[in-house]
Amino acid sequence: MLLSDLRVGDKAEVTGLLADSSVRRRILDMGLVKGTRFKVLRVAPLGDPIEIYFKGVYLSLRRNEAAGVQVQKRGEVGDGMPLGSRRSRWRFGS
Amino acid sequence: MTVLKEVKVALAGNPNCGKSSLFNALTGSHQKVGNFSGVTIEKHEGYVDYRNYRIRFVDLPGTYSLTAYSPEELVTRNYLIENSPDIVINVLEGPNLERNLLLTTQLMEMEVDLLVALNMYDEVQAQGIDIKVKQLQRLLGCHIVPTSAKKKEGLDSLLDHVIRVYEKDIEVKKNKLAFRPEVDKAIEEIAELLSREPELDKYNLRWLAIKLLENDKEVYNVVRQYPAWVKIELILQRVMQETEAVYKADPEIIITEDRYAFIRGAMQECMKLPRDKKLSLTDYIDLIVLNRALGLPIFLFVVWVIFHMTFTLGTPMMDGLDYLFGALADTVAPFLPNDTLRSVLVDGLIAGVGGVLIFLPNIVLLFIGLSFLEASGYMARAAFVVDKVMHRFGLHGKSFIPMITGFGCSIPAIMATRTLKSRSDRLATIMVIPFMSCGAKLPVYVLLAGAFFRPAVAANVMFGIYMFGIIVGLFSALVMKKTVLKSESEPFVMELPPYRWPSLRSVLVQAKVKAMMYLKKAGTIILLAVLLIWTFSNYPRNPELDAALDREIASIEQSIADETERQDAIIAVENRINAGQLEYSLAGRAGKLLEPVIKPLGFDWRIGIALVTGLAAKEIVVSTMGTIYSLGEADETSSELKTILKNDPAFDQATALSLMVFVLLYIPCVAAVGVMRKEIGEWKSVAFYGAYALTAAWIFSFITYRLAQLVL
Repeated sequence: MLLSDLRVGDKAEVTGLLADSSVRRRILDMGLVKGTRFKVLRVAPLGDPIEIYFKGVYLSLRRNEAAGVQVQKRGEVGDGMPLGSRRSRWRFGS
Repeated sequence: MTVLKEVKVALAGNPNCGKSSLFNALTGSHQKVGNFSGVTIEKHEGYVDYRNYRIRFVDLPGTYSLTAYSPEELVTRNYLIENSPDIVINVLEGPNLERNLLLTTQLMEMEVDLLVALNMYDEVQAQGIDIKVKQLQRLLGCHIVPTSAKKKEGLDSLLDHVIRVYEKDIEVKKNKLAFRPEVDKAIEEIAELLSREPELDKYNLRWLAIKLLENDKEVYNVVRQYPAWVKIELILQRVMQETEAVYKADPEIIITEDRYAFIRGAMQECMKLPRDKKLSLTDYIDLIVLNRALGLPIFLFVVWVIFHMTFTLGTPMMDGLDYLFGALADTVAPFLPNDTLRSVLVDGLIAGVGGVLIFLPNIVLLFIGLSFLEASGYMARAAFVVDKVMHRFGLHGKSFIPMITGFGCSIPAIMATRTLKSRSDRLATIMVIPFMSCGAKLPVYVLLAGAFFRPAVAANVMFGIYMFGIIVGLFSALVMKKTVLKSESEPFVMELPPYRWPSLRSVLVQAKVKAMMYLKKAGTIILLAVLLIWTFSNYPRNPELDAALDREIASIEQSIADETERQDAIIAVENRINAGQLEYSLAGRAGKLLEPVIKPLGFDWRIGIALVTGLAAKEIVVSTMGTIYSLGEADETSSELKTILKNDPAFDQATALSLMVFVLLYIPCVAAVGVMRKEIGEWKSVAFYGAYALTAAWIFSFITYRLAQLVL
């Protein structure tokens, strides 16, 4: 599943990056790396870009750029699932 | 008096981390602003005398990372390598530590003498975030000083630390970030190979190795020239295969992931967030400001406010300045007996300086507004709201505000494009701006529409011409982005920073910086150009006409007894002679020379002259016409000028429309061209733009003229 397929309120975890060169670098630098859990906060009034939230960062990205991020859906709006897990599954050095 | 020891300090940090506020708080009024060499990125420098030291600060541009993708990042890291500051202070946004630490890990890799300012510490405490500073210090291998630029807390402690680190009073145990074994091994091997190249001494070799693994173009270009490259290339290929096989990812991703893993570990050890995360103020504001229904209206309202603040408030100031310079000219004139000298000083120099200064109120007001939007966090949201429309034309969401500002004046608008990070986005936006009808083009429209159309129709004609400018501008952007400016545009992956109340001081500093920059850099070009155009329209003088003027005045003074009648007659003669002189001048000859080219658009040589002098400023098109038609001083409301134009057989509705289109599209005033040159940084693109604008103006005027002839 891609980030661009998610709907407002969905919670998901990044599983990989498809985007290349500068877009990928940018996404990496903003902290959207494998294992990051985020929530889709909203869509801009005209339907593009979208805004997501993770670890104190409010990030907006165009659907086009969002299509370069592979995700796995973890929850939806109102399901009471916390955004981050206490302990990340993937740990340094593993 | 003791000699102060100098300490060079660079401030590095993410955008919106409060770096500039900290810089302002530290250096007070000892500041100067320039550019980093070769790029239009502002370089703020300042110093503070503390104890027996003069601590010099450089405020590096805000960056999230130190890759080679954006000019800001390149400038930052090149500065660190080339200028090797004694100490680098990494400013962190306390409440948003995790993402901020990415830059810290990269600074650690460069092994600079690092000091961390944990900024906005007051907010950290207010939000109930618990940061174990000692522990974090150990992990990062550098000292951490909690500061608050807003409350001016921790500043002395920061300066004390600077001095102590500089004097090696306190020991710093640098920590190294470990990557996964495959990558770590490769880093050591590459660093080992690099160490055989003595010329690479100024670099940190481990850092070079990491950058090579990260596929960094700049570093690649540096290292490729050395013999060690052959072996390094083999290692790079090997690691690539290894990581692909084991982790299904290339080294670049692995390295960033490992940095974040390190940060995540550090955060778990050192930071405790309050148990229940309440919705923050930012969340609440965004619920309204970015609401699907309200987002656009609010955005338009904000733009409206900025526009009015700049121009409704600025216009009286402009008029005031205009009046002042007029008064100055009138005061000086009687003291200058020599005709030529008076003309040079009054009409050339004073008018020229006035022509430069007149834009200052707009620039200052606009940048007060824009820096407020930028610093408060709304600017990014504005881009978020309109990006879809702008993106359709190949522009960026951030292009919108400069574009709209163009309706007031191109000069501040072009300067406002600095918020755009990608050069190609920026160029495209700069080139669209002059197509937005600026305030100085309005008098031309008012005159022509008023003279040739009924009032009801005239309003529609004016509206039409504004819309036409927008359409031509947007499509030009689209075409340019698909052809000449095809290079990659900035990816839209942008942080929406938390809302903050900006400090008045930093807002004013920004406005001051912009004003100074305009005066110093653009001002000289503009003044020169205005003087040139003035010379063009005054020289050479026809001595026969001068003689005729003296003769006729003499005969009038003898023949007409009544004082007022005599004055009127003299003015009439003067106006007629001035028209003759203008025709005789270089500008006049240029107008005549141009006639064959502009004939197909319905223009005769007189319009040609007006177009040439209009390069100085668009409203001069109107006053030149006044001179040509022997009216002396004239403006757009002059009914005399309107009547003359209406009765002139060379002028009809089609000509008027065609002229409006031409004035809308052709080269903007010299002031705008000067600023354009300054902001783009090279003449080539400006020349391209000039050619493009002229061609577009000619073609569209031609079409307008011919269509209007058929229809009207």
